[in-house]
Amino acid sequence: MARLTPETVKVLAHQLYDYDLSDDSAVSVAHIVGAMTHYLRRLDALPLGGLQPPFGYATIVAEAQRINRGKK
Amino acid sequence: MSNPAELLSFDVATLAENFRRKMLSPVEVTDAYLAQIERLEPKLRCYITVTADLARASAKQAETEIASGNWRGPFHGIPVGLKDLCSTKGIRTTGGSKILADSVPDFDCTVWARLAEAGAVLLGKLNLHEFAAGATNTNQHWGVCRNPYNTDRIPGGSSGGSGAAIVSRMAAATIGTDTGGSIRIPAAFCGCVGMKQTYSRVSRYGVLPLSDSLDHAGPITRSVRDAALMLQVIAGHDPNDATSSHEPVPDYASVCGREVKGMRLGVVRELTVGLSSEVASSFNGALAKLSEIGAEVTEVSIPVIEHIAGISSTITFVEAAEYHQSWLRTRPGDYGIDVRRALEAGMLTPGPLYVRAQRARSVMLAQALTALERCDALVAPTTAIPAPVIDVGARAKLPTGEAVDMVAAILRFTAPFNVTGQPALALPTGLSADGLPLSMQIIGRPFDESGVFQIASAYEAARGPLPEPKAL
Repeated sequence: MARLTPETVKVLAHQLYDYDLSDDSAVSVAHIVGAMTHYLRRLDALPLGGLQPPFGYATIVAEAQRINRGKK
Repeated sequence: MSNPAELLSFDVATLAENFRRKMLSPVEVTDAYLAQIERLEPKLRCYITVTADLARASAKQAETEIASGNWRGPFHGIPVGLKDLCSTKGIRTTGGSKILADSVPDFDCTVWARLAEAGAVLLGKLNLHEFAAGATNTNQHWGVCRNPYNTDRIPGGSSGGSGAAIVSRMAAATIGTDTGGSIRIPAAFCGCVGMKQTYSRVSRYGVLPLSDSLDHAGPITRSVRDAALMLQVIAGHDPNDATSSHEPVPDYASVCGREVKGMRLGVVRELTVGLSSEVASSFNGALAKLSEIGAEVTEVSIPVIEHIAGISSTITFVEAAEYHQSWLRTRPGDYGIDVRRALEAGMLTPGPLYVRAQRARSVMLAQALTALERCDALVAPTTAIPAPVIDVGARAKLPTGEAVDMVAAILRFTAPFNVTGQPALALPTGLSADGLPLSMQIIGRPFDESGVFQIASAYEAARGPLPEPKAL
């Protein structure tokens, strides 16, 4: 499990987002993010090198066209 | 004129045929549904907004059009409900939240625009887990939606109102959305059919997002054929949704009723562990029934499902946190605590981990496609347990009082197919000893919704009708 303390997540939330976490929330959020980080580190076992993430260029082009359609 | 109970007993296909032949009137059917809503809504809390006047006016218009020979198709005059995540012009769209309690969009989402064009009658906007960010539908802002088979149990979520409304006859067909199982879980717990079609098959334009890359909007219905008919109306490319597919849309209902002799079904090994005894028994019974009607059942493996909790939660929480960031800063106290904590966790999840989770999706789909090289479709239970007992927020309890592990018991079974984007349909396999619905999923190749409907409808016919809720 990643070692993420409630104090750390409070500082991160404040300094990154100017967002104040309550003490209770900080405990819960530290646990959730710690667990997710732990799970995701286990993905190192998968052959992910060289795989493209699914962010397609076709979507970028289509969204650009939609933005410009909205301007006309 | 038929009696109201009889009117409410008809599925969409039967209503459509009777409307077309002018044997029934959309007005009398809509009135029967509105009366049922008035009777049961205090008990079940399926709706956030009921649009009775609009429904009556639309039904009258449908009746007039059909009488003059202008029948638009199977959804003309059919009373439907929409999950209140679907934007509707001039009608409050809350997302099940306090934050959007007074939000009235000035446009229709594409799903409703297409249903409206097909002549559907809108009964109202259905209850959901706040912003679709949970699987219980224990909604602190708009009321706790309850399971029609046992009102102490959750209906599942996040589209709980959509599932409960079908089974309690408070809508003939409904729309739900599914990011980690939110169509299939309520379909499973409430005892109806939920179809999450291939990602991009149905436009998400105007549907409030939870997680853009995992969200789907789709049908929750009484029967497989009804799901096929509803998907027919809402599927197809939409220039307003850059991710929507140009794949042609086949005639889905035409495969319903075809036999499955010789078709091969792969049981996903990783999704047969950790089941309650009654789910295991019912699922095995369903496999036996599929074998009886000629399908060949084999076992397949998708080992990367072991990682589903990290992949699905990371993508969902991070994308949701980005969408909610402004409200989270300005109105944090207006979220339910379970939803706010998930969003806060998303804010603080490192970016590289999010990209890693996205990359892993291809590995999961590759493994699923390898499994499908030997099979026409995959099968798995929809959840490991029947509907648990209502608790608070995103939590639920077993009858023993023990907390349910929502990932291990529920999301582990449904979320893999949001990650892969494959079509997956949930349908009932029977009732537990306590009278609660049990369910399985049929999962197809990308864009092979027809294959899924064919297998599901053949099983549904062999299974026979599910006993209706006694409590109602």
